[in-house]
Amino acid sequence: MSTPDDDRITYLSGEPVDALTPQERAELDELRTLLESPATWEEPDAALEDRVVNAITQEVQRAQSAPQEAPAPQKPQKPQKPEKPEKAPFWTRWRPRRPAIAFGGLATAAAAIAVALVIALGSGSGTQPLQFAMVVSGTSLAPQAHGNATLTKTESGWRIELSATGLPHLANGRYYQAWLKNPAGILVPVGTFNDAKKVTLWSGAPVTQFRAFSVTEQLANGNPASSGRRVLVGVAHPVH
Amino acid sequence: MQEGDLRARFRHGDPDAVRLVYRSHGRLVYAVAYKVLGDRGLAEEAVQQTFVKAWRAAQSFDESRELGPWLAAIARRVAIDLYRREAVRAADPIDALPAGSPALVATPESAEAIYDVWEVRQAVEQLPPDEQEVVRLQHLDGFTQTQIADRLGVAVGTVKSRSFRAHKRLATMLGHLRE
Repeated sequence: MSTPDDDRITYLSGEPVDALTPQERAELDELRTLLESPATWEEPDAALEDRVVNAITQEVQRAQSAPQEAPAPQKPQKPQKPEKPEKAPFWTRWRPRRPAIAFGGLATAAAAIAVALVIALGSGSGTQPLQFAMVVSGTSLAPQAHGNATLTKTESGWRIELSATGLPHLANGRYYQAWLKNPAGILVPVGTFNDAKKVTLWSGAPVTQFRAFSVTEQLANGNPASSGRRVLVGVAHPVH
Repeated sequence: MQEGDLRARFRHGDPDAVRLVYRSHGRLVYAVAYKVLGDRGLAEEAVQQTFVKAWRAAQSFDESRELGPWLAAIARRVAIDLYRREAVRAADPIDALPAGSPALVATPESAEAIYDVWEVRQAVEQLPPDEQEVVRLQHLDGFTQTQIADRLGVAVGTVKSRSFRAHKRLATMLGHLRE
């Protein structure tokens, strides 16, 4: 004979159970929804660890070379209060969110977006060229590599000025290829080169959408596709 | 390494300590960012920014607190900032708004929803691999127990028992069942 707990576990695992009340079902459905969420299962790219380490290493180097611009921590600050909400009992904590609150949130977000639209449209008539910038970090194939790039919109397309160290000069049929990628995963080649110390690349695809930058090692073997051997990665941010 | 030593070394930008903190909390931070942004590239960008901000703020970190919730709070703020940035980008008059842009499809998740994901992910990661796989196939991929049995090459009864054990553990870890 099954216990009430068994019934809940069975229902949680997706099996039909008649003995539960509508409230119990609603609570367990919320947990099931969380288990179905890709956020619960998605794994970051393995190269992200190196990117995080490189980004902090660069911050440390920057702070050491320019002590007046050293990052915050020298002044003791009031400890931040945890934002974590207090845990209420399961019965109340996993209650479905009230539609009125959800609509309130939507209205607030819509208003914020409307304000942002007005601000962005209003400032769009300036003479400054649209510009993005990024820090680039080496992947596990080139952990010492790092640098930066600026990406500027021009009449001809987007000019990408890359400056990176820690990558060997490639020649004799080996070369670097730079790429931009959009959130849908579409890859656009933006140029080839032998040395990354100072190189200018060009993109016809808008950096506003194609913001993920990477550099691969390639072989001049007639295959123009990416080798997948990424040595440098970064994400472009707008310069304000 | 003690957590206090780890934090001190993290604060000094010691690459080994950064790596250890990333390995212990990186996936949870990623889950928070992914929940807000719903996009792999943006979520990874948020993770990178979160760790840099955490390093910058490490001096002010109250050592009596756990590192995880502190990182989650930073990750949520960073992800919402990125989300808003993407929404503002929707106003760019030069380039068309891409399909699936956050500006079109959703609002940032509430803090409560973010922490729910954090807790569930943490609980799932503590399951034995065989149970974790069954739960993933059931909930994320939507397979029936019979389909899972075919896929894993085991008896349906084995899938049922793994599933029951896994969900019992989850319920216990998440405090979702009455004792």
